[in-house]
Amino acid sequence: MKEFLKRYGLWVLFATAVIAVGLALLSVFSTTSSPLVNFAQTVTSPFRAAYTAVADWVQDKQNYYEDTTALKAENEELKQKIAQMEAEVRQAQSDSEENERLRNLLNLREQRRDLSDFEAATITEHSTSNWTSYLTLNRGTDHGVKKKDCVITESGYLVGVVSDVGNNWCTVLNIIDTDTSLGAQVFRTDDIGVAEGDFALMGKGRLRLDFLPAGAQLLNGDLVVTSGLGGYYPSGLVIGTVEEIQTDDSGATSYAVLQPSADFDSLSQVFIIKSFDIVD
Amino acid sequence: MTPRQETIYKWGLYALATLLCCVLQGLVLQYVKVLSVFPFLYPILAAVLSTLEGPLAGMIYSLALGVVCDLTISAPIPCFYTLIFPLAGLLAGTLARSVLSSGFLSALVTSAAAFLLTGAFHGLIFVFSSRPAWAETAAVCGRELAVSIPWVLPVYFLFRFVWRRCLDDQRTRS
Repeated sequence: MKEFLKRYGLWVLFATAVIAVGLALLSVFSTTSSPLVNFAQTVTSPFRAAYTAVADWVQDKQNYYEDTTALKAENEELKQKIAQMEAEVRQAQSDSEENERLRNLLNLREQRRDLSDFEAATITEHSTSNWTSYLTLNRGTDHGVKKKDCVITESGYLVGVVSDVGNNWCTVLNIIDTDTSLGAQVFRTDDIGVAEGDFALMGKGRLRLDFLPAGAQLLNGDLVVTSGLGGYYPSGLVIGTVEEIQTDDSGATSYAVLQPSADFDSLSQVFIIKSFDIVD
Repeated sequence: MTPRQETIYKWGLYALATLLCCVLQGLVLQYVKVLSVFPFLYPILAAVLSTLEGPLAGMIYSLALGVVCDLTISAPIPCFYTLIFPLAGLLAGTLARSVLSSGFLSALVTSAAAFLLTGAFHGLIFVFSSRPAWAETAAVCGRELAVSIPWVLPVYFLFRFVWRRCLDDQRTRS
């Protein structure tokens, strides 16, 4: 190589200079690109196209992966936000319902000054037998609850009477249970009777109004409330409405079938009347 | 194992099986109302165990079960289940030993008898409280029996598994 350069170096340099000058002159005087550039570009063009296609594909994949990862993270975050918002909505609904109940109770307190002491209670269990109708509440002697305390809804509808009490629980016999018996009064006519559970009616969610005075003229839809006679229970608590009048098996006396105003199946919170003033 | 330990072991397993049924009753069955009633497992427990273990052991087990029921379930009178379940257990055990051969069919028949006995007792209480309701009592008893009787199958095989296991253990040791 050294020998070659010594011998032909000047000639190679000269030839290179001539070619360079020639190419420079061609590129100056030509309207298109120089032949050498054109040749090089023509040869490498397919390779560059292929390289660009591969590079684009890789870029796409990379973008797709980055987008997917970001979307997954965003989706997860949104899901958490939705869950949190749903929990807040549920809490708000629960608070709203409780607020509504307490507002009604406040109205009831204002209307009924004789009902002096209420205890709010949550129903922890509905009937566990097919033969009785009762509720278990989360309030007991620790909260001042006693046997025979009346239990009402926020609207003042009678639910039942406390039958058993423990430290932090009590059971309430619903007014339709066969063991329940209350002094009752027909609101329109002031007729006095006894509202009591009847097994034949309990399955239909009804109770009966017995011992009505002879000649009592009841109408369907008549409101029946507690009479308060004897001072065992407060007066004026809504028991239900007269659904129909029926004659006893003996045919001698008649009784009214009452539809309770309280809907036992949909109850979740009730109020225990711990004390009341006897109204004459 | 001494015979005393074997007895404790067997009744411990029976107690666990009973607890499982109580949990099933309290957490699931109580909320599954069909024909306005829900399945009631306790008379089935009394009948099935009395079928397997005989009238005396069955009666004692049913007495304990009755006490548990009276402590946890509201009844028309105090000690309702404490009174009726030993009778149901005695009846089931006697039927299984004297009239029927001990087996699934026997458990089915004695469970039905236990439900009928419980229903009849409810009816009598309504009569004594001057409010007889035989037709409604029969209707509720029939519905309760209809929705509960399919549960004899799992309960019987659960208790039979315990019974067989204890019997096999005894045979292996002897």
